[in-house]
Amino acid sequence: MRELRIAAVADIHLGEDLRGHYRKKIEGIERRADVLLVGGDLTRHGTIPEGRVVAEELSGLPIPVVAVLGNHDYHSDRNQEIIDLLRDAGIIVLDDEGAVVSIDGVRLGVAGGKGFGGGFAGKCASEFGEPETKAFVRHTKEIAERWRRALKDLDADHKIVLSHYSPVKDTLMGEPPEIYPFLGSYMLAEAADAEGADLFIHGHAHAGTEKGVTPGGIRVRNVALPVIKHAYTVYCLNGDHC
Amino acid sequence: METPHYVAARVQRALAEDERTTELGIRVDVRGEEVYLRGQVSCDERRHQIENVAREAAPGLRLHNEITLVEVREPGEEEHL
Repeated sequence: MRELRIAAVADIHLGEDLRGHYRKKIEGIERRADVLLVGGDLTRHGTIPEGRVVAEELSGLPIPVVAVLGNHDYHSDRNQEIIDLLRDAGIIVLDDEGAVVSIDGVRLGVAGGKGFGGGFAGKCASEFGEPETKAFVRHTKEIAERWRRALKDLDADHKIVLSHYSPVKDTLMGEPPEIYPFLGSYMLAEAADAEGADLFIHGHAHAGTEKGVTPGGIRVRNVALPVIKHAYTVYCLNGDHC
Repeated sequence: METPHYVAARVQRALAEDERTTELGIRVDVRGEEVYLRGQVSCDERRHQIENVAREAAPGLRLHNEITLVEVREPGEEEHL
């Protein structure tokens, strides 16, 4: 089976002031990668004009583009409209669901969405007490359950989870530990570990580090732009050569 | 003089919540009458906008804008998993 070259980036935070800048950096991506995964925080404020800039920058590439939204993309309560306009531009947007992309006959399944926080085993919030606390934790729990089902339903040769929030602490190293519960949740890792995946891509933690692993052994990569410092990073699956 | 701890918290909140910035990743330190801003942004305009919002939230203090620009480089070496 042919190896897959996965380009990934997150936290591109596009706006009118950056129109055209990111596109220049990804021209020719088809020579380096088979698919581009974008792990949320596509915009700064989640406005429609910013969403349109994202659609322009990411559409019309010769390779498939799969994206999820991040917390910034929710800020103006226009998240669903941003999803719609990105989909209209030909971008596959995952909102707690899965999709399969066929690359020269190799089926790559990607499942995921924005994700959410809550913290990591032993130091996390519980569904207990005030309704606000319970709602916070329940949100992550419900997302994780939808991802587990989406992963299970994927009929693919390789599976990747695409998220904005982190599934592990490893890739948050460099961030203040006090804010870890706002950067991710172990429940996202638990869902991936339950069904299995080849790779877990996320962003959100600008001051974190690139590499980590889930408790079940799935490789985790934080591809936030300030972390990778490149227009994207390429990961090769199942092959000695790319 | 206002407690530096609360000034820093106010500036940090302003940077996150002000529509001109919505920056969550900027570190704010206040020492006496000096305010230090550190972090990374992707263009010069954003760096200046952060300074403006911080200045409004901490009037009368001396501001040091130590924010750096992220240089988005061409993709480098791929990783084999």
